[in-house]
Amino acid sequence: MLSKFFETIYQKVFVNIVVKSTSTDVYIELCSQNDVVDNFESNFNGVKMSEEMLGFIKSYISESPFFFISVLDMSASQGALPTCEKNRLSYYCDISASEYKCYNEKWTYYTSKTDLYEVERRYKDTGVDFIFSPFTLLANFFKDKIDSNLAMYILIQDGFVSLSVFDNSELLFAEHLDMESPHVNDDLLMDDSSGELDLEDGIDLEDIDVVDSGEPYDDFSDIEDLDSLEEIDEFSDNKDVEEEFYHEEEGLSKEDENPDGFNEDYQRFSLIQSSINHFYKDEKYQSQFIENVYIADGVGISSELKRYLEEEMFLSVYVRHVELGAEVAELARMEMGA
Amino acid sequence: MKYSYITPRRKSVLTKEIQLLLTFFTITILMLFVTYFFLLIKDYTYVDDMNDIAISRSDLEKDIQTMKAQITFIEKENLIAQKIYTKNIVLKDSITNLFDLVPQRITLSEAKLLENGLILYGITPNKDIYNFMLQAPLRSIFHRTYSSFYPAQNGWLRFVSTNYIDEELSLSGEVYNED
Repeated sequence: MLSKFFETIYQKVFVNIVVKSTSTDVYIELCSQNDVVDNFESNFNGVKMSEEMLGFIKSYISESPFFFISVLDMSASQGALPTCEKNRLSYYCDISASEYKCYNEKWTYYTSKTDLYEVERRYKDTGVDFIFSPFTLLANFFKDKIDSNLAMYILIQDGFVSLSVFDNSELLFAEHLDMESPHVNDDLLMDDSSGELDLEDGIDLEDIDVVDSGEPYDDFSDIEDLDSLEEIDEFSDNKDVEEEFYHEEEGLSKEDENPDGFNEDYQRFSLIQSSINHFYKDEKYQSQFIENVYIADGVGISSELKRYLEEEMFLSVYVRHVELGAEVAELARMEMGA
Repeated sequence: MKYSYITPRRKSVLTKEIQLLLTFFTITILMLFVTYFFLLIKDYTYVDDMNDIAISRSDLEKDIQTMKAQITFIEKENLIAQKIYTKNIVLKDSITNLFDLVPQRITLSEAKLLENGLILYGITPNKDIYNFMLQAPLRSIFHRTYSSFYPAQNGWLRFVSTNYIDEELSLSGEVYNED
């Protein structure tokens, strides 16, 4: 009772930490009751809690006792599984060393317990109140699409790609990919020494070695329907007009938004491609043909990635820019019931 | 906890400094209250004792009054006893004097002492002896004297002498004798 009274007096401070590959974004929201009063954002070098970052965070959390530190989980050992039944979880992977939670009694997301402890240890100076999975962020960000579409939803962060396939809010497949993880085959990375690429002509994928020694491409070539132009036209009929309009409004289709990220975008494309192949081939997952891809762009990808996916994999791609800090803050507010 | 892997820490407006301050003030206020209640209880006990003492004093005063009344009563009884004793002595003297009054020739058979009188039964050889030797002194003592005679078997006379002292008359100093 008294606590509720004080909560109405004080502002709530939501501190949201998003770790990138070499830096850390801190997004702070000041909320009064249910309204966002103000927000602040700052980027700090390094992925650990620096003195500068600690000072920035403390300057805001000292204003109110009701502050909440949220961290977007950056663990490489995380993922999501298409069931909530505990006895079926081990069918997909071993999660004995993982912390897992069920999302709306439909699917499960998990992460390594060790990494959770590592996050708590890393931010012990301020403490941590919430650790969110990128998959919950993705599900929340695309909640208007997930409930009524069969599509792939991708969250692109700096250094990570979280990929999931939903069929009318039912998770079919999910994978979290660390772009700097050793398991990513170096062959996927473009080698500048192999010769200059002619970007105007596009990329000839046959010249590039990819993971699983090109098997997925063989599988794709077996799908005769894809060779048919009429079928491609049918795909175009399934395009999400609303999302395209949204896409144009945001002006995300401009060319070469981030030329320096071209290599990374190709790497992301390769990871997405191999993940889709994994989804199609692995019998554990209920395979559905994916036509649409919704990308939540947290880094500012170039249009090349969209073009690769559209031209090489015949996917309809829709890109939405996502402010990861703001989305994490929204999750934190949802946790607080605000 | 819907989406987060961990539970948020409990938030409180009470920082450690405020907790310390509140603890200090709480202890101080608590001590003040304890002292206040101690004094309150002491005051109540004092008032209670004072009431008890007042009641005891009242009871003792009542006892003193009762005892004073008893003393007065005993003093009165003592006076009455002394009076009775004096009266008895007077009566004894009177009786002794009465028997001294009776001459040897007259024999008393019965004497009744009344509150204000004396009735004598006896036998006399004749009226003259009675009249001169007994009635005369009786008249000097009593205000009214009545005598009646009737003959005895041996020729003497039995007599009944009834004598009264009139207190009202004696108080006013008047003397009234009647045959």
